[in-house]
Amino acid sequence: MKILTTVKKVVDVELNIHVENGAILEKGLQYVINAWDENAVEAAVQLKESHKADTTLVSMGSGDNTDIIRKCYAMGIDNAIHIDDPNLAKADSPTFARVLQKVFEAGEYDLVITGKQAQDTDAGQAGIMLAEFLDIPCVSNVIEIKVTDESHIQVSRLGDEGTEIVDLTLPAVVTVSDGINEPRLPAMRGIMMAKKKKINVMDLAGLGTSFEDVGGTDPKSEIVEFMAMEKRKGGQKFEGDPAEITAKVVDLLVNEAKVL
Amino acid sequence: MSPLFMTLLLVVGLGIFARTMYQRILLLMALEPTDRFNRIKDRLKNMVVIALGQKRLVGRKKERASGIMHALIFWGFCVLLIRSITLYGEGYVHGFQLPLLGESSILGYLYIFLKDIMEGVVLIMVIWAFYRRLVVKPPRLHNTWEAYLVLGMIGVLMISDLLYDGARFNLITSYGNPGDLHFFNNPTFGQEFVWTPVTILAGNVISGFSATGMERVMGLMFWIHIITQLTFLNFLPLGKHFHVITSLPNVFLKSLDYPHEKIKLLDLEDESVWEDETLGVNHLHQLNWKQGLDLYTCTECGRCKEVCPTYVTDKPLNLHDFNDTLKAELYANADNLILRAKLAKTLTGDEEADAKTKEKIAVFKPEKALVGDVIALDTLWACTTCRACEQVCPVTIEHVPRIIAMRQGQTLMQGEYPEELNTAFKGLERNGNPWGIGYDKRADWAEGLDVKLMADHPDAEYLLWVGCAGSFDDRTQKVSKALVKILKAADVDFAILGTEEKCTGDFARRSGNEMMYQMMATENIEVLNGYSVKKIIAACPHCLNTLKHDYPQMGGHYEVVHHSDFINQLIADGKIRVNKSLAGALTYHDPCYLGRYNDIYDAPRNVLNTLSSQGLNELPRHGTESFCCGAGGGRMWMEETIGSRINVERSREIVDEKADTVAVGCPFCLTMIEDGMKELDKDEQVKTRDIAELVAEHLA
Repeated sequence: MKILTTVKKVVDVELNIHVENGAILEKGLQYVINAWDENAVEAAVQLKESHKADTTLVSMGSGDNTDIIRKCYAMGIDNAIHIDDPNLAKADSPTFARVLQKVFEAGEYDLVITGKQAQDTDAGQAGIMLAEFLDIPCVSNVIEIKVTDESHIQVSRLGDEGTEIVDLTLPAVVTVSDGINEPRLPAMRGIMMAKKKKINVMDLAGLGTSFEDVGGTDPKSEIVEFMAMEKRKGGQKFEGDPAEITAKVVDLLVNEAKVL
Repeated sequence: MSPLFMTLLLVVGLGIFARTMYQRILLLMALEPTDRFNRIKDRLKNMVVIALGQKRLVGRKKERASGIMHALIFWGFCVLLIRSITLYGEGYVHGFQLPLLGESSILGYLYIFLKDIMEGVVLIMVIWAFYRRLVVKPPRLHNTWEAYLVLGMIGVLMISDLLYDGARFNLITSYGNPGDLHFFNNPTFGQEFVWTPVTILAGNVISGFSATGMERVMGLMFWIHIITQLTFLNFLPLGKHFHVITSLPNVFLKSLDYPHEKIKLLDLEDESVWEDETLGVNHLHQLNWKQGLDLYTCTECGRCKEVCPTYVTDKPLNLHDFNDTLKAELYANADNLILRAKLAKTLTGDEEADAKTKEKIAVFKPEKALVGDVIALDTLWACTTCRACEQVCPVTIEHVPRIIAMRQGQTLMQGEYPEELNTAFKGLERNGNPWGIGYDKRADWAEGLDVKLMADHPDAEYLLWVGCAGSFDDRTQKVSKALVKILKAADVDFAILGTEEKCTGDFARRSGNEMMYQMMATENIEVLNGYSVKKIIAACPHCLNTLKHDYPQMGGHYEVVHHSDFINQLIADGKIRVNKSLAGALTYHDPCYLGRYNDIYDAPRNVLNTLSSQGLNELPRHGTESFCCGAGGGRMWMEETIGSRINVERSREIVDEKADTVAVGCPFCLTMIEDGMKELDKDEQVKTRDIAELVAEHLA
């Protein structure tokens, strides 16, 4: 089985993000692997371990992704492709899905595993669109993957009403949720060994396409502006006699907050 | 007596002994090197105080009686060594005397007096030891046949020698000395037997024999003594009584300055170490020879497990078994290890030429995996590195570095470690703190406190090292704020690093993640040296320990002081004044990394005594024998799923002492004990407070 898995480099959302004039301030930011993509990589590596799958990782963007790719190598990924093209800096989800389509077609994969969404934009589109473009089945929000046979897998997805179990014919795309696994922290030995592994870096031309071909020049969506979230105001705390407090709170809810 | 028989006994007895010892020494030489031959004077001092002086046996209040018992047997043995030489000499020369210790010198007389008394004393001690093992049965003791056999042999040695002398006394004084036996006789010091009351007593016991019978008894006792002694000598290296031979060298070779061997600074950039799996201890041959000697020396006394926080809360780590299992594995693989070491010496460094040798070496891989088969994973990861075991070990065995080295092997090479550590490691990697909270929020706690940053005030006299807990943990932030209040009150010129500070890497290092530790240490040292920091006040004993003892290995040399020590000095110098108005019963929990690792016991106590109107009540387990809170050695970030909880055990002890306030000096202890109190539903009754908080509240 050949598995393609995708990773996106995102801003570490644990940090305070400062916005000025509609743009994010770069100072003090750090970038990490999108957490859900880490689940996708872990899922791929687990399939490699249990079913001898061949795993390839693809990352896209403008600029160097060596650090996160090395980490995925250390986790156990076999091959890595990085599509490094300055045009991709501000590309939208359909464009990324088209690029993935090109990668998929070049490698003839059986299964694509992606994170269910990226922590920065929270769009959750690329994986699903890829399946649409390739006209292959897709299940999102997956929390378990079981291999049935060479050409079938069974996945569990977290639905609104409970867990849905879906049989899938390969090739297929699954987007995974964090419930699927606990991504391993790569063994130190793996990290050191990963330093030696080659990363296949190419631009869109190298992939045999162009920014126009993948729809980049005709984006379906565009980020216009970033805005800082309003800080939550501190709540009020009341102490004392419960009866008095209740009366006071009701009064505030009725007259000040006007919610009652 | 009979020179031929004596020669035969000596050749056989000493020959076998020499062969066993040679094998044991070869095995040690097959292990990794470590330098333990520097500073001979300090080493001799340790040997005199700890080994010859039996400091940890006699000095421990809790077990002083049995400690004295052991010491007397040991000292008795030392005295009797000289006597043994005389007896061997007697085998060849009638009336053999050692120079200076013969009948012409008062020394000779003093010696026979001492020897006589000590034989009696040792005999009584042996009887007591039997009683203790058979009747009292202290839980820490392993009642093995070996223990009884050795006690029996010691008893036989004493009795046979006393009866030999007793029979000699009877023959000389009651039967006219038919065999012309030699005895001390000097016009000034008198006859030998005036000096030997125990011998006379022994003589009286067997006075019923005829002259011939008495001669037979004397001969029999002589040879029984010699044979028992040689058997005893050969028996020693086979079991736990090897310590009789190895204790002195083991104490002589113990670590100096730092309480145990410092964690080895691994060269992680060297590619070959990753390929050859030579990081940490994954295989027996990776132990160093001193660690091997430690295993030889374990007396199986069980003190280590009795004080071990994991053992008393029913976790699988039992240091006695840990050592014993490793020793057995070492012996079982001795031949292979020796051959392996021989081959390893022929490695040239040339890859091609070495390939064949490496193939041959690979054959000597033991069947069992060191961690997994020999030592269970749960056992290895249970340790809190609190050093209580090392502190009580009478023969200075260094358990903790061995455990950490084995963890290194697991974490670095096998990638095997408790899963929960992942989150903490990731947090460290990304944001420089185990919680993984954004690094940019590190100084948020200081907002509005007018605390200077090193970046703005690089010439500050002191750097206040806040630590991750003090920066990110809500509860510990209060300690940081209290400390700032004190420093400001004392007008101390200090600054913090703010977002430039990262975890020191303590828990990563002690979980075997040397890579993460070095990452943290490199970055911190770069920042610290960039500001030419010289003096650091650390609010966490773990930070203190790492900054003070680990960072010098990587070029970070600072004068580091714990906040309790610093506050104590501020009070002593009159820079702050406090009210002695802390009401209620106050007790103090010694943090392991402050006490046992850094020998700071008095400073926090002085501070607390200045505050408390009632004075400080000590917990039953305090000072050098304080009981760990359960969070050291990376345990703070691991689940505690086996047995009962260490922090609850400690909290219960505090509750039982009727404390109203328990003072601590470590953020981990603070969290663990406060949680323990909550678990016991006593958090309202017993307040857990850091020393800094108590001082800040009572500033005059």
